[in-house]
Amino acid sequence: MKMLNLKKINILIRKYKNFLVGILIIAVYYWAIKGTDVSLINFTKGIPFMADFIGRMFPPDISNLGRFLAKALETLQMAIAGSTIGALIALPLSFLGARNVMPNKLVYHSIRTIFDICRGINEIVWGLIFVSMVGLGPFPGVLALAVHVTGALGRYFSEAIETADSEIIKAIISTGASRVQVIVRGIFPQVKPLFINYSLYYLENNFRAATVLGLVGAGGIGMELLTSMRLFRSEEVLTILIIMVLMVTAIDRFSAHIRKKITRVEILN
Amino acid sequence: MIKIENLSHTYRDREKEAIKNINLHVQKGESLVIIGSSGSGKSTLLKAINRTIEPTAGKIFIAGEDILSSPNKKVRQIRGSIGMIFQNFNLIERETVLKNVLDGRSRYNNNLNIILGRFSQDDYRVARESLQMVGLAAHEQDRVANLSGGEKQRVAMARALSQKPEVILADEPVSSLDPKLMKEIMDLLKNICDEKNITLISSLHFLDFARQYSSRIIGMREGEIIFDGSESDLTDHDIVNIYGKTRDWYLYGKLGF
Repeated sequence: MKMLNLKKINILIRKYKNFLVGILIIAVYYWAIKGTDVSLINFTKGIPFMADFIGRMFPPDISNLGRFLAKALETLQMAIAGSTIGALIALPLSFLGARNVMPNKLVYHSIRTIFDICRGINEIVWGLIFVSMVGLGPFPGVLALAVHVTGALGRYFSEAIETADSEIIKAIISTGASRVQVIVRGIFPQVKPLFINYSLYYLENNFRAATVLGLVGAGGIGMELLTSMRLFRSEEVLTILIIMVLMVTAIDRFSAHIRKKITRVEILN
Repeated sequence: MIKIENLSHTYRDREKEAIKNINLHVQKGESLVIIGSSGSGKSTLLKAINRTIEPTAGKIFIAGEDILSSPNKKVRQIRGSIGMIFQNFNLIERETVLKNVLDGRSRYNNNLNIILGRFSQDDYRVARESLQMVGLAAHEQDRVANLSGGEKQRVAMARALSQKPEVILADEPVSSLDPKLMKEIMDLLKNICDEKNITLISSLHFLDFARQYSSRIIGMREGEIIFDGSESDLTDHDIVNIYGKTRDWYLYGKLGF
């Protein structure tokens, strides 16, 4: 008797499955929109203010262009320094965080946890932490990028190492190579293109992150943006935004081009 | 040269022994071919000899040294004296031929030199001599990925030879090549080993090859050695014993019984 009931319920659920899922989806959207005060009316009311704000931005003020460009270059320097430091720290650690290299589970899990913490916390939050530690300027920005990148690259590097062909590793072991030699000659050449690819991707990513880091006082063009906004110099804000967009686009293109080239060489050969 | 006593191995998560109670004595300069169908334990036995797997029981002596109970450093030294080639070559495809061959010199180098990619004049000389022996001297700067299957196996051979080995283990060295190349590669391997008095232990699928390239044949079935003798000792009865009852004799180079 009980079995029969369960069967009936099952059939009912299957029959109304789409309906139930539909109700669930609507409920989730209602919850999210209600909880965040999303309102089309308020948005429409805001349009004139927005138009006014944009109107006041014209024409862009280029009297401080030199300083802005210098700060944009500082942002680029931050991205390069932060990415490089992060990649250099991630490189040796990633081998300790790869299951096929590190048989000790405690070490493996500790390293992976460190990566997750570094990666899980956003660059901006790291920026806030380091600004309060070492003061305003590009240096805390570099630290913030470096820590985040260590976590992100560390994780990707480790995963790449775990996919290395174990037969090739065995071939190197069979030549009488030491542990270090096996890592350097058996594993590293297999993962090198991936490492370069990921690192360039994060350089690209870090430039975008570095522009925003200025907003929390961690140097670069973001800091100029914050200052100009606070002083209501809308014309300058536009100049800075244009510089940001142009530089991010240029760096994305450049990095994508190089990464594509590396990948193509790997596939062709 | 190689003495194996009561060697057994069971892979983790598996109940059946891959090899059981193997006793084998291989003389210097012998050319030993192991035959048997897939899963008979050929490959496991080869990998145990240079301890690239850890056998669960037994003893292996290489030139009198017990490789299974030696400290790591000694194990690496012994491994260095044993070259190994594989069915799938196991080379670093994106690097040059010469760089791959230099990997055979690892036991003569310290970690720092390997990290910096520094090799001695002697290493280069030996690597180039090995390439000469396999007929690839003109290709040392080519990327391995651009070579044909036969050429790749030659590179792998040169890597093994640059170790200056006493023994070469060849784990199905021609199984991924086409028939014409199979013969070419086996001829080359056998000739070099004969000339340099290197002990050659290979596992092969084909009976013809086993007969042609061996001074001694070992037949394995379900992890045990059930035949040990010269090519002329191998009777049709033995062959049926080794491969079991099968209709696929053509696979092993025989038209049937």
